[in-house]
Amino acid sequence: MRPDRREDDQVRALHSVVGVLNRVDGSAQFSAGRTSVYSGVYGPVDVRVYDEKLDRTHVEVKYRADTGAAGTKDRWAESAIRQTFERIVMAQMHPRTMVQINVQVRENDGSVDAVAINAVALALIDAAVPLRDTVAAASCAVRGDGSTVVDPTLEEIEDARSVHTFAFASSDLAANLDASTTHPVYVDSRGEFSVDEYDRCYELCARAAQRVLAFMRTAIEDKAAKESQISSSK
Amino acid sequence: MVDTKIVIPGDVVNTSLGSDGGSESADGNSSVLRLGPGLAQIGEQVSAVASGVLHNNTDNNQWWVVGNKRRYVPSEGEPVVGVVVARHGEGYRVDIGSAHDALLPLLAFEGATRRNKPNLAIGTVVYGRVVVANSVMDPELECYNSHTGKSEGYGELSSGFMFKCSLGLARRLMDSKAPVLNALGSEIPFETAIGLNGRVWVNTEASATTVLVTNAIKNSEFLSANQCKQMVKELLEKQ
Repeated sequence: MRPDRREDDQVRALHSVVGVLNRVDGSAQFSAGRTSVYSGVYGPVDVRVYDEKLDRTHVEVKYRADTGAAGTKDRWAESAIRQTFERIVMAQMHPRTMVQINVQVRENDGSVDAVAINAVALALIDAAVPLRDTVAAASCAVRGDGSTVVDPTLEEIEDARSVHTFAFASSDLAANLDASTTHPVYVDSRGEFSVDEYDRCYELCARAAQRVLAFMRTAIEDKAAKESQISSSK
Repeated sequence: MVDTKIVIPGDVVNTSLGSDGGSESADGNSSVLRLGPGLAQIGEQVSAVASGVLHNNTDNNQWWVVGNKRRYVPSEGEPVVGVVVARHGEGYRVDIGSAHDALLPLLAFEGATRRNKPNLAIGTVVYGRVVVANSVMDPELECYNSHTGKSEGYGELSSGFMFKCSLGLARRLMDSKAPVLNALGSEIPFETAIGLNGRVWVNTEASATTVLVTNAIKNSEFLSANQCKQMVKELLEKQ
């Protein structure tokens, strides 16, 4: 029985605001339960000569945790997010420019990596940066007894034997492929785990990511409908 | 273009729905697929790369996605409002909100010759047309119609006030029937220059009126035509 009485495959209540910040090109706030992350994106904008790439845009990530001094953990998160989205952003469309992704964790109650990836995906879509795919992420923990639970809280992560985060591209999830043929765009596994436990986590996270993607689609559709004034008559 | 389908990046678009049997017998254009903004060919499929409403024109098998955004990417032929930030030997550098500042040649003005060049101060607001825009070069502007040699409204915009808005709102304001501009125009004399780069310049007789016009335009983004008229009426009454 999980502390908050959720099912093993149940994600926490999701909440998002697309376009939450008004001084950036694109932004989003994404929450799963009490874990909440803001992301603000600029791009394509001018780039420092040092980072300028002649044939593609430079993707830069700045990550700040909710508490604590900035350190290596934040640099690791920046690198992880950058490597994920460098392949998603259609970089060849805007050479000699930069896309700057800013991430600010508002509150961390577990699965913050997945929530951050979801927030960044929505912010990039809000900024209309050209993207190959929408990305949806989910985390999973393996408990001492070998059972796997999705979207773990901080308490569940502390007691877990291993924690896994997966992110998937929407085009892979949409094709209704089963988890064995879906390819993730981000994988992070920590702790001791068997191949079987890894496979089960993969499966669980792929299904959770599908639900997260459906939620993100609704959030984007609502905003797009409002902007194009479909509902109100002209 | 009846059904309003909203796509998100990664969605595969079935473009074979666009051309019906009737167009095959006409010109050979039915085999040519035209992808506009927001769509790209990835592998063998056409995918959305931006979120928004999917549109298609069955006449020439053209598909595109309409979505709002704030960051301007220059496109040839678009009118833009910019600010002069530097002067070089051959021209000005103008900030139009894109990743790179635009070049405005000194001779790209009405009646400009080598002996009679314009003398714009840094900080001048100008209305120009994008002449060169691609991903590998800095954008270039001209402040006149190079075919007729006349300014046709382009050039320096003196006094007045410039503010920023979303690209979607700017595009809607370019329509001569834009509700908020017509509602304001029937009560207040004002001049305006709309830049498709999300910048609007407004000039009226008094600062208070300029502020009112600015607020009315900014408020109108998500309002319907009737709501616009009502909003303008309330702003004028409060004055």
